[in-house]
Amino acid sequence: MAVLRASLLIAVLALWQLASLAGLPDFILSPVQIIAYFVQALGSAELYENIRASLTRSLPGFALGTLAGAALGLAAGTARGFDRMFSPAVFLTYPVPKIVMLPIFMLWFGIGDLSKVLIIALACFYPVFINAYYGVRATPKILVWSAQNMGASPAAIFRRVVVPSAAPMIFAGMRVSLALSFIVMFAAEMINARSGLGYMIRIAENSLRFDLMYVSLLAIAILGYAGDRLVRYAHRRLLVWHEQPA
Amino acid sequence: MRFLFIGTALVAWEAAARSGLWNRILFPSLVNIGQELVLFFTRSASLMEVWTSLYRALGGFALAAAVGIFLGILMGRSKTVAGLLDPLFSGTYAVPKLALFPIFIFVFGIGSLSKVALVFLECLYPIVIMSYAGARSVNRVWLWSAQNMGASRADLLRRVVVPATAPFIFAGFRVAVPVAMIVVVITEMVSSADGLGYLVIYSLSSLRTDRMLAVVVVIALLGYALDKAVVLARDRLIYWEKLDTYYV
Repeated sequence: MAVLRASLLIAVLALWQLASLAGLPDFILSPVQIIAYFVQALGSAELYENIRASLTRSLPGFALGTLAGAALGLAAGTARGFDRMFSPAVFLTYPVPKIVMLPIFMLWFGIGDLSKVLIIALACFYPVFINAYYGVRATPKILVWSAQNMGASPAAIFRRVVVPSAAPMIFAGMRVSLALSFIVMFAAEMINARSGLGYMIRIAENSLRFDLMYVSLLAIAILGYAGDRLVRYAHRRLLVWHEQPA
Repeated sequence: MRFLFIGTALVAWEAAARSGLWNRILFPSLVNIGQELVLFFTRSASLMEVWTSLYRALGGFALAAAVGIFLGILMGRSKTVAGLLDPLFSGTYAVPKLALFPIFIFVFGIGSLSKVALVFLECLYPIVIMSYAGARSVNRVWLWSAQNMGASRADLLRRVVVPATAPFIFAGFRVAVPVAMIVVVITEMVSSADGLGYLVIYSLSSLRTDRMLAVVVVIALLGYALDKAVVLARDRLIYWEKLDTYYV
């Protein structure tokens, strides 16, 4: 299987390379060119500067959104009063594309990084909240009863039964949030920023620097992939009892 | 009780708008937003913008649904296809496909096609991943029983695999529909001269925040209505399984 997979990948890349030799439009570079430009960009400060700018927006936003989502989702799943009051507002606004709030956030919090961090946090909040909420509600009753029978206090049940049982769902939500955080970061930077990978691709597009466009694209792809691996690694290490879906 | 939180938020907004502490551009009053909303729905020009955005979102979504269900079921039922495509989909899942948009503009032009193509690409992932998960976990006993009773491969697919996968397909749809809206709005905000995303940016640049928030409300209503439509279709089609968590 691995051989088949690798040969397919090589075949596609080879075909792409051959097509570019035969003549592709300017905006489609060949794989060899893309890698050459990327290696070249790795030697310059510009790429690192933009990656740093992007990550200082997406990571705090992701952390803020997932923390708030997990905390409030766990609370809404456990406390009925809070659930009745708070959850309808979340479920009502869940299908709304959060990025439309960016312009109003820009007015309220300025056009700097704060508005971008907050919009990323808002987008990351929803998947984690919903997953934590249903994770708590799907806790097997028998586990809660057993713990009660053995004399566990409500606080102990929450910490030792409810949270571990909801944790796999929370991690699934975090994976979705991570992908969202990169999308929203990129969108916010394309719409309005003076640094970052989204800004870089925008400038490259406007000045027809196709090499920079592909460098930025490859950089964001690598970041997204690495982040996803990291979340899955944390999932494996923290939730040893839970078999991770592929 | 159910709408206590929402109600308080709205009252707080109106209080902030009327307090005079902030500029009216920062906190437009709900009355002004409501007026703009009425104006929005009575103008045929703005309804055309709704249609533009809607047809980009639904066009990309429909393409992604057709291709995604096909690929997902194929991956679920064939080890070879799964082995080839699964690394591709799970490896590029977290990569923001939005980054391809500038290249798509060059390839497909600046009109609707580049936006539909990007919606297609972003919606494809949840649909493929969910229908793959569903098709892979079809109860073996059902397959064996159907085979035992002499079902052909086509029957097996149509009468067992597809119905068993359907709840998962709809779970994928529910993830994909908001994604379609997000992508349409973002691409229209970044580069467009029509659609709701453009209207948001245009009203902002003309400092008409009341109008902008009215458009935001319209986008919100649209997103909510599309999600409800998917749930409704799911409940009609999959009458044998109730929706008991948010997605499945």
